[in-house]
Parts: sequence; C-alpha cells; structure tokens
Amino acid sequence: MADPSRPRAAFAPWDRRELPGSFTVEETARRVGHYKWIEMRLFEALGGWVATVPELDVKLRLGTHCYHHAWHSELWHKRLPELREMNPDRLTVPPNDEIVAFVEAMTKPEAPDETIEKLVGVYRVLIPHKIAAYTYHLNNTSTITDAPTMRSLRFALQDEFDDWRDGEMLIQSLTETAEDVDRAMAHQANLEKLMLAAGGIAGPGSIGSTVDVQDLDEESGQKEMAS
Amino acid sequence: MKKHLPADELARDPRFVRSDMMAGFNDPRIGNQGNGRRGPQKLVPSLPDAPERSRALMHGIFVGELQALEGAGRTCFDFEVGKGVEEPTEVPFELKLDMARQCWDEARHCEISVKLGDWMGTEIGEFGEQVFLFQAACAPDPLLRLTGVNRALEGLAIDVFNTMREFGQVAGDPVLEFCEDWMLADEVTHVKMGSDWLRRLTEDDTERRDQALEFQRTVDRLFSFGGFRGDEDDSPIRLARRFRELAGFDDQEIDEIAGLSTEAREMMEERMAAAATLAETGS
Repeated sequence: MADPSRPRAAFAPWDRRELPGSFTVEETARRVGHYKWIEMRLFEALGGWVATVPELDVKLRLGTHCYHHAWHSELWHKRLPELREMNPDRLTVPPNDEIVAFVEAMTKPEAPDETIEKLVGVYRVLIPHKIAAYTYHLNNTSTITDAPTMRSLRFALQDEFDDWRDGEMLIQSLTETAEDVDRAMAHQANLEKLMLAAGGIAGPGSIGSTVDVQDLDEESGQKEMAS
Repeated sequence: MKKHLPADELARDPRFVRSDMMAGFNDPRIGNQGNGRRGPQKLVPSLPDAPERSRALMHGIFVGELQALEGAGRTCFDFEVGKGVEEPTEVPFELKLDMARQCWDEARHCEISVKLGDWMGTEIGEFGEQVFLFQAACAPDPLLRLTGVNRALEGLAIDVFNTMREFGQVAGDPVLEFCEDWMLADEVTHVKMGSDWLRRLTEDDTERRDQALEFQRTVDRLFSFGGFRGDEDDSPIRLARRFRELAGFDDQEIDEIAGLSTEAREMMEERMAAAATLAETGS
C-alpha cells in the first residue's frame, strides 16, 4: 500500500475537471427554471393523454414516462433554492411566449385516432430538443462548481434517451402507410417551426449560439458567457 | 386537450367490453356459476368455481389498474399548481408529483396483471369493464379524487391484493403470491398518499374534510355491496386491517368500513331470504 503520510494532489492525474464554465449562478438558475417549466408541461400532458390513447402499449408507456419527467421537474425544483432562488415558482416560467405556443400546439391532439401526432410531438420534437439543451448545458458548465446540476442533467439525459427510443419505436410501429408518414412529418414540421421560433426549451441560446470570433476570450479561446 | 375527461371518452381498443356495475355483479362467472346463491363466499382454491372467479377477479384488477393509471394521469393534467387549500381547481406541485409516481406504479400493475391474466388463461375483454373507478377519479374537486380513489378504491385494492396473495399461497402459486405482495406494497403507498394529502389540504378546513370523507364513505359503501368486502371469515374480499393501518387508517375508520360491509351483507341476506320465501310460496 502507498505510504499514507505521503502528500497527494487534490486532483488525481486522471481527474481532468476544470473550474471555468459558461454559466453564472443566475444564468444557471434561469435555465433550470425553464427546464422545470417544460418538464412540468410534459409530464402533465403525458398524464392527461393516457386516458385518450386506445393503444394499450402506448398507454402504459405514457404512464411510465409521465413519472420520469415529473421526477426531472422535482430535481430542478430542488436545485433552484441551491442556486439562490428561494422562491422556485418565480423562475418556473417559460422562456418566452413562443415556447408556450409550442406546448399548446403539442398538447392539442386529443382524439383517440391522433396517437401518432401525440407521440411525434413528444418524441420527435420536444425530447430531442431537451436532449440538445441538456447536453449543451452539461458540456459547458463548470465541472467543479456546478457538479450538482451536472448530476441531475445526467440522470435526466439517461431517461430522455431511453424514453426517446421507446417513443420512436412506438411511432414506427404505428406507422403503416405512406399517409401515416405524411401525417407524422407534417405535424413534426409544424412543431419544429414553433420550436425554432422559441429558440429551444430554454429560449435563444438553448444550445449556445453561433460564436463570432470577437466574442471569444483572447487568452482561453473560449466564449466568455453563454448568450 | 381539454380538462376533465368524462368516463365515456376513455379510449379503448375493440377487445374491451364496457358494462354497468349491476351487470358486473350479476355475471354468473363471478358468483356461484348461476346456481342462484349470491351470498358471500370466500375465494378459496378448493371451490369448484375458484378458477373462474379468480380469473374474473384478475381481469377486474387489470381494468381497475388501467383506470387508476388514467385517473392519476388526469389529476396530473386537470389542475393548475397552487396551494390547493382555497381553490379546488389547484393542487400543490408535490401532489402532482405523487400522482405522476402513481401513474408509473399503476402502469406496472397493468403489466403485472396482464401477465398474470395470461398465465391464468384469461383474455383481455373476456369479462366486462365497469368504469366506476375512473368516475371517482374524475371528481371536479381534487380532494374528492384523493378520498374516493386513493383512500376508498386503493384501500379496496389493498384488501383485494391481500386476498389474492393468500389465494396464491393456498393454491401453491408462488408467482401470483409474489406479484400480489409487490402490488400490495405499492397500494399501501398510494393509500398513505391519500391519507397524508387529506390531512394536509384540510388542516384548517374541517367542513371540506368532512365532505371528502363523506364521498369516501359513499364509495366504500358501493364496494361493500352484498358483503363483497368485509371483516367476516367468509367475505369474498377480506378487510386487510394490518395493511390499512400502515396506510394511515385508524381503528375507528376500519371499523366503520367493516360496519358498512356488515350492513350491506345483512341487507343482501334479507333479500335472499325474501326471494326464497317467494319462491317457496310460488307467489
């Protein structure tokens, strides 16, 4: 065994975590508040849809996924006070009106013969955008100061990937004709346009933005702050 | 999507057969194979009609779980987030989280009961589906949903799962016993959720609490029909006192449910006696 009295560095040689990150405490809280808002809208919609879909396997999957997103919203709810927001409701808001319009359009399908539209909205549009925003956040935050957010992001991302796969497979299994493909694509395109207008689940800059050279810090070559 | 979905809009595939409550109770496959006796009789494997009755019960569990899933999902969606104390259109965020958790649990219960039904040789739709559970789950006041569903109907589920667990034990079916035991654990959690939320939401409003408990009594009375669920040894579904205590029921509440069942059973026996007298006199 190594000599226990020998001083060791705080960071082992393989530990490459770094202090710099793209987000301030305030910016992180803002994003986390938007994440909580969208997770809430998603778990509510999935819960509401359970009774409206006749396909038994879809019904049971929606019920299962409903809890995943409720749990994510709980993670974000608990993170907000740790980010100096003692009234989590204050930041549990949409980033803009456009994302509200997106959610309204996504949750509009109700009839029992609209399962494809319901699934496309969640699994081909919203969840991929969530994966993108969460991944951007995970890859750009300080790996030391913001480790608690990263841990929650990783848990959430694991669910998002699993649920996306479930949902995509359900959509493929329900798609039997060329008309079904057209229906799915038309609905997806409509929702994608609304999401584009919203700029992503956390608003413009959800996955960063195109970086101009003059925005970069001269020494580090990194962008100074997320926009 | 609109708020508050009526029970007749529940989406089902064509295998499911909707029936009313009386038709369900009068299904000869559930009672004594049409021999005329409809009084309480404990479900034990040695009964000639035990296979049919246990299959019917398992199908009933499946559709009940399905509606419990749908009801919990609707509670996630139908109400805005708020304190839930003054406005019956609002519920606390944490209550929604509990309902979402219940969605997951009920989805698993559906999966379990479909597999157990397959194992027992039952097909989906072989027995009728009554939608009383979803109707209770759709009360406009979330507090009524909690007492009607989480305390009354999920309480009944505790009794049913405990009965089926014992049936599995006696029948030598370890898979049935194992699964029922797991579902029983979830149901205790759901009933406890209902008990806890009832206490929290009505802390300063005894009138609202009384109304909610009255709704619970109404639902409990409905499911004590003919002594179907009771405290007697031969009750088809036996009150699971120990598990109800774990779920937040006190002795007085359990005694009250037992009393409702005894009342319902006596009423049924009086009717049966009157019917027998009528048959003897031929008038």
